[in-house]
Amino acid sequence: MSENSARTQGSGNGGGEELRIGVFVCHCGGNISDVVDVQRVAEEIGRLPGVVFSTTHMFICSDPGQVLIEQKIKELNLNRVIVAACSPSLHELTFRRALARAGLNQYLYEHTNIREQDSWVVVDKEQATQKAIRLISASVARVSHLVPLQKRAIPIHPSALVIGGGIAGLTAARYLANRGIEVTLIESSPFLGGRMPRLAGLFPTGRQARELLRPVMDAVINNPKITTYTNAELIQSTGFIGDFRTTVRLHPRGVEPDVPNVQAAIDVCPEQTDDEHNFEFTKRKAIYLPYEGCYPPYPAIDWKRCTKCGRCVEVVGGKGINLAEEPRDIEIQSGVIVIAVGLELYRPRWGEYGFGQLREVITLAQLQRLIDPEGPTGGKLLIAGKPVRSIGFMHCVGSMQRKEIHPPMPDGKINDYCSRVCCTASLHAETELKARYPDLHVYDFHEDIRTYGRWHEDYYIRASEQGVAFIRFNPLKPPRVEPDPRAEAPLVVRTVDRLTFGEELEVPLDALVLATGLVARNMSRLVDLFRCSVGPDRFLLEVHPKLRPVELASFGLFLAGSVQGPMDTVESTAGAAAAASKAAGLISQRHMELDPFIAKVTEELCSGCRICLFVCPFDAISRDNKKGVAVINEAVCTGCGTCVATCPCNAITQFGFNDEQVKSEILALLGRLPAAVAA
Amino acid sequence: MADIATTIQTPHAAPATWEPRIIGFLCYWCSYTGADSAGTARMKYPPNVDIVKVLCSGRIDPELITTAFANGADGVMVLGCHIGDCHYITGNHKTMVRMPLLRRVLEDMGIEPERLRNEWVSAAEGEKFSRLVAEITEQVRELGPLNWPQLMHDRGVGHGADLRPWGE
Repeated sequence: MSENSARTQGSGNGGGEELRIGVFVCHCGGNISDVVDVQRVAEEIGRLPGVVFSTTHMFICSDPGQVLIEQKIKELNLNRVIVAACSPSLHELTFRRALARAGLNQYLYEHTNIREQDSWVVVDKEQATQKAIRLISASVARVSHLVPLQKRAIPIHPSALVIGGGIAGLTAARYLANRGIEVTLIESSPFLGGRMPRLAGLFPTGRQARELLRPVMDAVINNPKITTYTNAELIQSTGFIGDFRTTVRLHPRGVEPDVPNVQAAIDVCPEQTDDEHNFEFTKRKAIYLPYEGCYPPYPAIDWKRCTKCGRCVEVVGGKGINLAEEPRDIEIQSGVIVIAVGLELYRPRWGEYGFGQLREVITLAQLQRLIDPEGPTGGKLLIAGKPVRSIGFMHCVGSMQRKEIHPPMPDGKINDYCSRVCCTASLHAETELKARYPDLHVYDFHEDIRTYGRWHEDYYIRASEQGVAFIRFNPLKPPRVEPDPRAEAPLVVRTVDRLTFGEELEVPLDALVLATGLVARNMSRLVDLFRCSVGPDRFLLEVHPKLRPVELASFGLFLAGSVQGPMDTVESTAGAAAAASKAAGLISQRHMELDPFIAKVTEELCSGCRICLFVCPFDAISRDNKKGVAVINEAVCTGCGTCVATCPCNAITQFGFNDEQVKSEILALLGRLPAAVAA
Repeated sequence: MADIATTIQTPHAAPATWEPRIIGFLCYWCSYTGADSAGTARMKYPPNVDIVKVLCSGRIDPELITTAFANGADGVMVLGCHIGDCHYITGNHKTMVRMPLLRRVLEDMGIEPERLRNEWVSAAEGEKFSRLVAEITEQVRELGPLNWPQLMHDRGVGHGADLRPWGE
């Protein structure tokens, strides 16, 4: 086969050696060979320059098939291998490994897709055979430009930063620390626990939220591997997988632990403000403890409210309370970062179902405080100071919005998604109320009920059995809430019931509970810092909902809990555990292996124009101002190639996809074939 | 080696055997997988589009597209992830901006802008992919062969593409 001699075109190592290509065309048991004349394909390809061996095989992915490849590499001294078979997503890795076993660099391989993109989609056999020849000859052209590549190995510092001290962050921190990893947990508020301490009994077990949270919090507090910072503000984060450097501003707490007589300091404080722990039902001081059993177990000062009058300092004798402390910045090094900042509750607009206008209209979160035995009413159902004989629940407030009837939010979007937890939470509250007050009339206004989770449907069944009246409304004509004109009750709900085929109803109520939805927090700072993808619902977006459900596209960043979307506690902890195990798995490898298809700057050609700095989606490029050239950080580069296409000087190339490689492929596809075939 | 100039047909006089040659640049994460799912579902479409795989549509340098036209492609298809779904966050945003610009440049060069098609195909949109292939094939068939190198030669502009066969 001397007429087939050709030389490799690659620059760098391997360039100039004699090209010895082996081509293996797969029958795929008939999937390919029933349409494509594989025998003819192998013969025609065998005539191309550089191809020293070309054959067909019934199932090249089988063990004998792989052994054949290994044998031929050794026997014929092949230095490039092409397999023409199924999609590379199925078996590219299989054959790369076969190359590696035979001692050949695994990136001197090209996988040609002649099944999904040829034999399965082309009807005409001759056309399919022609297409297969074109595709494989493009691969032949391409492999002559390939050079041996090595995977990048990035060392990973065995530590993790967890952002957010709610149930998801606590769970992730706890599991990571259990694997022996040093964890730093930062929380922006002065107390750990997030939103969970404000909930009462939780579905599906009915146990009290704080009782469930306590052991998780204890596990974090008592673990020497975990360092916790409260009042911590995220300032800056640089670095990359394996070596993130995050700057955190620690705002002073104002109060030291174990100050004797600290309750007197709280009592003496003259400032009063709405207590967010009780959703504005009660007031608290500017120096405060949110609830009994919180952590850290000593008060904090709310700097927005504190007037620095100094009375609390006087009461404790000048020791332990410091109103003049300045914030300080610390830098936290970590190998990975887990983002667990959670979400927010939708706040109804003024007048939405009477909210804000009528004191008897409250949110489900507020009701949770009222039925909590440790809540502001001691667990008694008192709304606007009065006992309640009849109560209504309104579903989908702030969720499942329709553009026809709902005004857009400030960002121009509507919350058209389902918030998932509010249906079961409402039904749970209804059954709870019915169990406590059997004479209470409970009405449930819904457009749809989604009790999707395990055991959630039980609450629906129980509520039905207890006599909750279910009223289904048309989402485009939601119920109207007004003061009762006959003054029999504080308010009246007017609606049309679909379950009774359009009966017009007027329901007088003592109180109405709005099952408010869950919305994403304002995370613009976080999104900027970590280059997160954001979904249309404003929650952070994972790489792939099924294949990589807790990872961000930037390496080393993980998502835990409801930062990804509405979740209940069960799902949040599951998500956090998944994020922790993915992060721990990464750390335990000590090094992360990354594909070598990254971009590289040829310094002699670079003019230092900075355009690539602006197009890089991952901020992987910086400019060496001394040399006046762009520098690509190998650990951050993901190999998208956007800078390669952008560079006006052609100074950036991409390993595995450089211009010569791609152009040779284009030329071959257009019939600029090797001379042996063109003749 | 045969004289290449004699093998080039005169523009817009398509011989009966002429078939449109179209290069499809597909990003690996969405569109290439979308093309695979068309195959898995055994959707039939014309064999005229040959796929060149890149990791992200942001890698598709306009120069690669002009290389294709200069070497005999009658049409080019650029497919990427839907905006917001890019595996590389914003790689396809650059494609979205580049393609209309390139289309204007192509127009100035005498290439009908309809010969360049830019669409977004997700990994699940096999049906959309097969439909797009059929559409562009028909569109280019109507426009006829491009023969850009000959066109430039006839007008006496540019130096034409290097027409030597590969490997020489």
